[in-house]
Parts: sequence; structure tokens; C-alpha cells
Amino acid sequence: MKNVTKKIAINIGAGYTPGVNSIIMGAALAAQKLGWEVVGIQDGFEGLLFPDRYSDGGLINLGPEVIERLNPAGSDALGTSASIDPFHVRTENELGMIEEMDMSGTLLKNIQDEKIDAVISIVMGRGLSILYKLNQKGLNSVCIPRSVENDMAYTAVSFGFNTALSFTIDMLDRARQAAQSAKKIFVVEVLGEQAGWLALQSGIAVMADAVVIPELKCDIKKLGGFLNRKITTGRPYGLVVVAEGARFSEETLSTSTPVSSLKKSLSPLATGDEDSYVIHRSGKASELIATNLQQLVPFEVQPLVLNQWVRGGSATAVDRQIGLCYGAAAVRALDEGNDNTIVAFVPPEITFIPLADALNKVRTVPAHSEFMKVAQTLGIYTGA
Amino acid sequence: MKENNSTNPTGRVLNIQGYCSDDGPGLRTTVFLKGCSLRCKWCSNPESIHPKPELNYDAKLCKGAAACGLCLKAPFPKGAFYTVEGADDKVLVNWDLAGECTEELTSLCPTDALSMFGKLMTAEEVIAQVEKDTSFYRNTGGGVTISGGECLLQPDFTAAILRLAHERGIHTAIETAGNVPWEFMEKVLQHVDLMLHDNKLMNPERHKKWTGVDNKRLLENFKKAYETFPHVEFITRTPLIPGINADEEHIRAVLEFIKPYKNVIDYELLPYHRYGTGKYEFLGKIYELKDFNPPAPELLAHLRGIIDEAFGRKTQEK
Repeated sequence: MKNVTKKIAINIGAGYTPGVNSIIMGAALAAQKLGWEVVGIQDGFEGLLFPDRYSDGGLINLGPEVIERLNPAGSDALGTSASIDPFHVRTENELGMIEEMDMSGTLLKNIQDEKIDAVISIVMGRGLSILYKLNQKGLNSVCIPRSVENDMAYTAVSFGFNTALSFTIDMLDRARQAAQSAKKIFVVEVLGEQAGWLALQSGIAVMADAVVIPELKCDIKKLGGFLNRKITTGRPYGLVVVAEGARFSEETLSTSTPVSSLKKSLSPLATGDEDSYVIHRSGKASELIATNLQQLVPFEVQPLVLNQWVRGGSATAVDRQIGLCYGAAAVRALDEGNDNTIVAFVPPEITFIPLADALNKVRTVPAHSEFMKVAQTLGIYTGA
Repeated sequence: MKENNSTNPTGRVLNIQGYCSDDGPGLRTTVFLKGCSLRCKWCSNPESIHPKPELNYDAKLCKGAAACGLCLKAPFPKGAFYTVEGADDKVLVNWDLAGECTEELTSLCPTDALSMFGKLMTAEEVIAQVEKDTSFYRNTGGGVTISGGECLLQPDFTAAILRLAHERGIHTAIETAGNVPWEFMEKVLQHVDLMLHDNKLMNPERHKKWTGVDNKRLLENFKKAYETFPHVEFITRTPLIPGINADEEHIRAVLEFIKPYKNVIDYELLPYHRYGTGKYEFLGKIYELKDFNPPAPELLAHLRGIIDEAFGRKTQEK
């Protein structure tokens, strides 16, 4: 049976991505055509959870006059919050103590009170799980995949990837020029915790000497051997692109140090090295490779980290098109009764995948993918 | 707060650690309780923050989906664990869907890659473990220290353990940040020989920025404690973090605060460390202070010198 959606709300999950306005524009324009009302929830779900904090009540009308003035390359229409999780909202209780409260019930009630029939959420992987949980509690929603790492499965392209890729390529070009001039090997760390698409595709585009991705454990001795063959006095520079979630062979990683009694006393369940498991610490992968390579190659090795630089700027033409397309498609999903799905681009079609099926699905680089073959054909070391 | 009249109350314990040398005099057993009322960004014990038991995942111990894969199917919650195609087939945790995991479930993991942080214990169960090392306490002047999390969030439980310790002639200490209603602190202090308490930031706005609440109530609590319990010894402490509180202004403000009270016997600086960062990963959380570094030895020595001068003693190596 077809849903009777009349009012939809749009929100953005945690983290900044350039060009989200284009998604909002796509959804708003498509909804207007159906005669639906569209509002934006400010700062994730905070506009609905804490309306008193906002002079305009936390919701923004996204009527034609507002949409007309939006810049499709920007991301300033609604704002984001550090977390989109209404199940663990950090608050100060009546006793002046900090605690994480489950405010999902409040959120759903406020959605009902505002007569919002469905929510379009522009989310990354973790946001999907949150929306799935809200869906289990009765929320109608459609998600739009947003990932600068392009690691969301089922869709060939997540919104934001093309912009991140373009910027990364630009920065790698500069790094290469600097390496060339300084006669050094630059190890540049780019985003990619579980999937190495950004490292691999940007590495191919700039003809890097080597690309290290999370999908293949890196043996730095082999990498050093490769660079020693390729980097000579006639070509005294190099460029290695590494994804921040890169994994390393056992030989590369030093064995964990015993835990001292002081350490146990200060932090009773501490184990191993201080950062041995922390992959969220940006710069660790490039630092580890650079430090180890230093002993293996005759040229100076220098680590560089792009990290959050990639998340800013203006959206590319490709992302603007994808954004408009995904936004409009999300409204089509609601109009066709495909609630509780995620919009996916499976060339040449736009399809809608049930949220439950999309959970925990990470789009990684297959070892024998075309991109890997291309890299190897071009003489780029991948470790495969 | 509901009054607990039981002489053997139950509490949420994170860990009981023997042979500790930094939580009071002598060799001590430190009982870490679960649950905290602050959210300090530098916290080295993230597993102690939330009151309920929490899932802990050590990927190093996971055998992988092909060799095991037990947690990928029922009775484990749907979607809580998964794998991705890549360098290995180790299980990953969807922390948003794994919240329903219990000790009963994690005990099914054959390699202990999955376990729980925190368990319920009675005060008598705790003291039974503590008193095993009574001879060490006697020989070194040590005892038991109740730490956290925030041990004063469980006042009946903490008071009961300390009372039982006193009955056995064991020296008692607590470690607290003091952000609790005064009644909680008052109830526990009746059984305390030494209170180690934090003084993280004297500026209320900065305290709120880094810990989540301002310091008005906890400073009031400390003053009341000094005055109401003159027989209790107090040591104030600052976890010293460059860029947050590792400056003379803070140190001198704390010294000014404790100056009128003779039962505040020392002011200790605890240089910031990163020992706990790995545990954030075990809990699926992000360590927010990742770009901060421990204080330089010279700075530490300088600030300790100011404290030594205030206490009228020669500067000493610590």
C-alpha cells in the first residue's frame, strides 16, 4: 500500500562533507513537486531533541524561497552534530552528574508532535545502525549514503567520495612536487579506515610508487625492497600513499611491551603499548611506515597526513549531481512506499536497499579488482 | 537516593587490583568501581565511566570467522558482529547493536576476545579478596583504596567495604573527584582514613569544558569534608596535562584553596599519560585527547617545586 507522506524532515549525520546542500535541494525540489512540506532538522537530531536551544525552534523550513538561495556546493543549510545517536545523549542530570540518556522516545514523540511522516537522513555507516534502531522503534526513514571513503556497500558511489578523491589527488600532486624538489620519499596518509579506495584511486591518478591499503597487510621490508629498486640517483624521490587503517605484517609490528606496575595502577586493565589498537589516531600509519623505511632506503623519508583537510572545501560537479540525484531519489522511495531503505546507485539504476540488509556491509577493495590490476600494470606497488 | 540498609550491599565493580603503590601509602589493593559522574576527556579508564557492564572486545584474541565465527550467529544479537573482506577475517563489532551482550553471551567466546567490563559483587565478596593481602598491608603500611569511576556514586557499597576493612584493621582510602551530592561523601567519609581527591581545574568554565560540569559543587564538598572530618587526611591531586592545567596559575590556585586546612597533607601532580588509549578501541570509542602529550620533565619539576615550597619542604625527586 502506498504511504501517505505529507511532511518530511531531512537531517545530516555526524561529520562534515562538502556539498550536502545539493542533497537537500534534490529532496526539497522533488517533495515540492509532490506537494509535500519539507523541513530540515538542525544539527543531526538535536534540533528536535533540544528545540529550546534554537531561536527558530530547531527546525528549518525548506520551502522554495530557501532552496532558491542555497549553494549546492556547500554544506551549511542544516549543520551537523558530533553524534546522531539519540540512544546515548550526554546530559547533566538533576543531581549535577553527567550521564548518557536514551532519548529515542523523546525524539520519536517530537517527530510525531511535529507531524513529520518520514525522515531522510544523510548518513555514514554508523548512522545507518542508528537509523535502523529508530526504524525498529517505529520511525519511517530513508537513508542517503555519504562517505568520503566510499566504503558503504551496495552503492557504487557514496556521496562525498568524488570531492575527497579530487582534493586528495590535488594534494598528492603537490606532495610529489615537494618530494621531487627535496629529493625525499613522502609517505602521505589519506582517509580510509577499513577500505582503501581513496588511497588506491588517488595513488593511481598521481602515479604513486606505492599504495598501502587496509585490505592487504603491508610488509614494510618488501615495500623497502621495491622502493630501493625504483628510486635511484637518477630518480631520487618517491611517493607512497597509505590509508589510515593500513594493517601491517607481524614482522613489521614490534612485540607489545609488558605492562608496568605503575601502568596497572593508573589504568588497571591497560594492555600492551599505549596506542597499539588505536586506529583512530591519525598519522600513525604514515609514521610507522616512514620510521621503518628510514632504515631500509638510502633517501630521507617524511610522513605527511591529509586527514580532515579532505572533508572541507566545495563539492565537485560529480558530487553535486550525485547529491541532487540521491536527494530526489529518497523522496521517490517514500512516494513509492520504499520506506526504511537506503538509496543506492547500482549503475545504471538507482535502487533502494532495505536498511537491515545494508547494516555492517563494508565496500572494501577486492584483492583482484580491476583497480588493483590497473595499479599493478602501471608499476605501482600494492603488496598483492 | 534510596537508602540502602543492607549490611552487605551489592555494587558494580570493574576490577580489583593488588600491589598498587600509587593509590595511598604502602602496598595497597585498589578496588575500581564502575560509573562516573564526569566525562574528563583525558580519562585513562574509559571502561569505568558507564555504570552498567559493557562489552569489551580484544581483536588480537579473535581467531576469525572461518576458525570460529560463533558470535556471528544466534544467540548473539543480530548485526552485533560482522566481518569485512580484507586482510583477515577477524570479527568486528557494531557497537550500536552490541549493547545487549551479556556476560552469559561473552562467556561463549572460546578465546576471551569478548568479555565484559564490570560485574556485580557484594561488599563481603570484595573484602574477602582484599584481606588476602593483609600481611602486605601490615609490612608496608598499606591498605585498601576504593577508586573508580567515581566510588562515591555507590555510597552504601563503598561505605560497607570500608567499614568491613576497618573492622579488620585495614587502612582505608578513597579516590574521588567529588562531583556527588554531599550526603554521599559524608556517608563514606565516616569510614575513611585518607581521601585522595582530584582538583583538575580551578576555573569553573574550563572545568566544565574538559569534564562536563563546573567545579562549584565539588569545591564546596571538599571544603565541607576538610571541616567536617578533621581526623581524615586529605591529599589533593591534579592530573597534569599541558594545554589544560599544567600551569602555575592552576597550581597556585589549588595551593590557595587548601592552605587553611591542616588535614590536607599533600598536593600531588600526576603527569598525564596515555596508558588507557588502547581501551577506547576495546570499547568502540574514540579517544578525544589524542593530540595531547605528557608534560616535559622540566615543567613537572618546576611545578612540583612550587608545591614543595608551599609545604615548606625541600624540593624532592618524585
